[in-house]
Amino acid sequence: MAGKPGTFDRIDSVLARLPFVRGRQPEALPITLDRKRIYVLPTRQGLLVGALLTGMLLGALNYNNNPGLMLAFLLAAVVHNGVVMAHLRLSGLRITALHAEPVHAGEALRLRIRVASGRRSRDGLLVQAATGEPTKLPEGLHAPGADGELELSVPTTRRGLMDLGRLRISTTRPLGLARAWSWWRPRERVLVYPAVEKGGPPLPGSGGDGAPRPRAQRSGEDTHHLRDYRSGDAPRQIAWKASARLDRLMVREYESGTANDVHLEWSALRHLPHELRIARLARWVLDAERDGRRYRLALPGGVMGPARGAEHRHACLRALALLPEAGG
Amino acid sequence: MSAAVAVHAGTSANDTLPALTAPLRRLVVAAVLAAALPLLLQLPALVSGGIGAVALIAGWSALRRPLPMPLRLLLVVVITGAVLLGFGFRVGRDAGSALMLAMLVLKLSELRDFDDAKRVVAYALFSPFAAFLQDQGPLTLALGLVAAIGVLAAMARLAEAPAPPKPLRRDATALAQSLALALPLALVGFWLFPRLPTPLWGLPENAVARSGISEEMSPGDWIDLMGDDRPAFRVRFDGPTPAASTLYWRGPVLTRFDGRTWTRNEWLAGFPPPELPRGEAGVSYTLTLEPTDRRYVFALESPTGWPNGLELGFDATLKSTAPLRSLSQFRLRALAAAPYQADLPDALRRSVLSLPAEFNPRTVQLAREWRSAATDDRAYIERVLAWFNDEHAYSITAPPLGRHTADEFLFDTRVGYCEHFSSAFVILMRAAGIPSRVVTGYTGGVPNRVGGYWVVRQMDAHAWAEVWLPGEGWVRVDPTAAVAPERIFDTLESAAGDGGLANTLRPMLDFGDSLREAWNNFVVGYNAMRQSELLQHLGWHGAGAAQVGQAFVVAAGVALGLTLLVLMWPPKGERDPLLRAWRGFLRRWAKRGAVKLPDESASAFLRQLRASETRASDAADLVQRFIALRYAPPGEGVDAERTALAEALRRYRPR
Repeated sequence: MAGKPGTFDRIDSVLARLPFVRGRQPEALPITLDRKRIYVLPTRQGLLVGALLTGMLLGALNYNNNPGLMLAFLLAAVVHNGVVMAHLRLSGLRITALHAEPVHAGEALRLRIRVASGRRSRDGLLVQAATGEPTKLPEGLHAPGADGELELSVPTTRRGLMDLGRLRISTTRPLGLARAWSWWRPRERVLVYPAVEKGGPPLPGSGGDGAPRPRAQRSGEDTHHLRDYRSGDAPRQIAWKASARLDRLMVREYESGTANDVHLEWSALRHLPHELRIARLARWVLDAERDGRRYRLALPGGVMGPARGAEHRHACLRALALLPEAGG
Repeated sequence: MSAAVAVHAGTSANDTLPALTAPLRRLVVAAVLAAALPLLLQLPALVSGGIGAVALIAGWSALRRPLPMPLRLLLVVVITGAVLLGFGFRVGRDAGSALMLAMLVLKLSELRDFDDAKRVVAYALFSPFAAFLQDQGPLTLALGLVAAIGVLAAMARLAEAPAPPKPLRRDATALAQSLALALPLALVGFWLFPRLPTPLWGLPENAVARSGISEEMSPGDWIDLMGDDRPAFRVRFDGPTPAASTLYWRGPVLTRFDGRTWTRNEWLAGFPPPELPRGEAGVSYTLTLEPTDRRYVFALESPTGWPNGLELGFDATLKSTAPLRSLSQFRLRALAAAPYQADLPDALRRSVLSLPAEFNPRTVQLAREWRSAATDDRAYIERVLAWFNDEHAYSITAPPLGRHTADEFLFDTRVGYCEHFSSAFVILMRAAGIPSRVVTGYTGGVPNRVGGYWVVRQMDAHAWAEVWLPGEGWVRVDPTAAVAPERIFDTLESAAGDGGLANTLRPMLDFGDSLREAWNNFVVGYNAMRQSELLQHLGWHGAGAAQVGQAFVVAAGVALGLTLLVLMWPPKGERDPLLRAWRGFLRRWAKRGAVKLPDESASAFLRQLRASETRASDAADLVQRFIALRYAPPGEGVDAERTALAEALRRYRPR
């Protein structure tokens, strides 16, 4: 949509380095786009039209051709108003909040940005992260007074707290001759879980074939008791017959002696490179969670668990994500 | 193989730009063809036919499938050749615009992606402008406006391309709005943008000659002109209109005769202009000349006042310093014709006495006999005119003439029109030793009863003679008038029969022409001079280019301010009447101390009301109804309830 993004991006990155330009420093939300931070430059089509109009003006003056002059002025005024309208399409837009569910490094982060459209109609706006594809402002946010979220896909590369960099909001409406845009650098940072190792050895102490231990022990129903379903429980643990009988979801709880717990030790993986160590531990956390086993993660910073469930998983992955860099 | 290609095409379209869809292609082709049309109509038939054919081929290829490269190259070569051939290899402004037009329509055949579409659409804007350079008639202007609107519409659509197209009506409304908003600035630019008193660059000679009076004449070659009822110029007299028989609009004066054709004598151009009779009396009038591409200004004789930019020639003709390529307007003054230039320089005298040898022996013989028989020049002229009147007839269907044109016309065919009469008359004069010359121009005109001005058409073209009499100077003699005065002052149209149809249509035709005249007056003929006149009317005397520039800046600032005001005018607030009423209700409560914070829900406000205001039970009732109705799905009953609640909220005043 945005012409050849290459050209615009080059201009954009040059401008971004200028000292007086807004949007360089991280900013807290909410922000309102106003004339101090909206930039307008012609597109390539706009430059072509500008050259044509200049030629028309000179030609019409030279031949004292009034209809030609009228045409040139009419078009120039339309183009000028188009530039103003492009500016106004951004002006007054408010960005009120920012949120993203963590993803593993290498996956696309779905950044949710809350936008209030203010008094004007906002169709044709494009939102783009420093890396990533431009995304159209969803139609529900076009009308004046609309307030809602837009989802932006941002690629991630590294674990840890990610600086989102510059976010750009731009438009070339109404005529495609001028592009108005604004930058904003959120102060909020989003968590990116470590990448997960692909392949590699199974959970430690699981008998080598990766098969979860509880399965092997499920010979008698009496080895467990039932409890209420909690969010995060694996579907496989649900006791369907009992649930049907009691009319609410029940979950089997196995006799879980310490022998059943998985111990994930940072120190046990000393032979691996730093990042691979993190990636393997992250995968084991996911595996243990999938198998419904309790797990305990011992990291240089402390020990978590043994426990299981979404919260525990998040705490473990977060701790892994925030581990310092190798040698750092 | 084909599957692999298809997959490849799919992915590449995905990671670059969305594909140029068929509706968009149709829109681009339509916009470009609409833009090409006005210019196409102005080009010579051969050229516009060729370009039109190429446009159709290229348009078809844009919609169906791209032309192969060799075929495109071939088209480029062929059309370039055709254009150059059509203009006789004279590359000027017109050939240039024809070539640009050819390239524009050819560009359609390589419409691949969005960038191509955007480029070709922007480029198409030159075409209506180039058409305006050629012609400023209503048809061209209307087509040009349509073209510009079409191009803008295509631009808007391309700018929002990946979005599904909006209904046509919304597009049209948006476009109409932006044109309306553009008008103030456009009008200011038109009226006040400083005009150039002299062109920046030379105006190239037009490659295609326009019809009209040229700088030469040979008996029998004006037949096309005599049937052409297009206006040559329009005249508005300030005072009463002079008698029709004195309306001689002088054009080129022809002094050199080669036996067949009368031409101007360029050698004489260096002579100073003659002293013309001066005086304050006379007629003043405004002459609005259609473009001729020549420099003659057809002024009434004898001109006494003319604006800058015109100059008087040695033969008392008024000429513009630059060719008149567009409609031009002049304020002129004239004094009733009187003899002038009593002293004729020898070089001039020789040039207006010379006759080629071995042409028209019988005429020369007759002239000598009659002159020696006459007492003076005037008596001789009278005798010649009487002879014309008695023995010659006026007809525009005169038979063609051979080598001795005057001999054959005077003694054999004896039928002819103004060219024959004036040419033969001057030959008779010169053979008798009387300095004389042929003057071409127009006579008479037709009054437009609606507009109160006169139209002089191409069919009013005329040729007459001027003789130089010793002691007096140049005197006009119209030999055709001696034969058929009615044929000169009433023109061919009325001669064709005072048909009923022409008479019934006359008021309508007059009205149409008067519209055209008004347009010419106010728009097309507007120039640097009229601009400073306009400022004078506003009380700004002696305004030069700098002052006009200042006025432009001020007025453009005002127009711009107005436009911005309209553009930035806060859009209407809440559109939902219920919400509007609700907010008013909250504002009134806030004044009474019951404030609903922005992050508070309506139910929280309800609890607040119930806790603090014991008297507000009716208010609490309203809030409860609001909570119930705010997000209720629309339906007939609900809509009525919402309206009722909005009304109740508006009326409610906290006590």
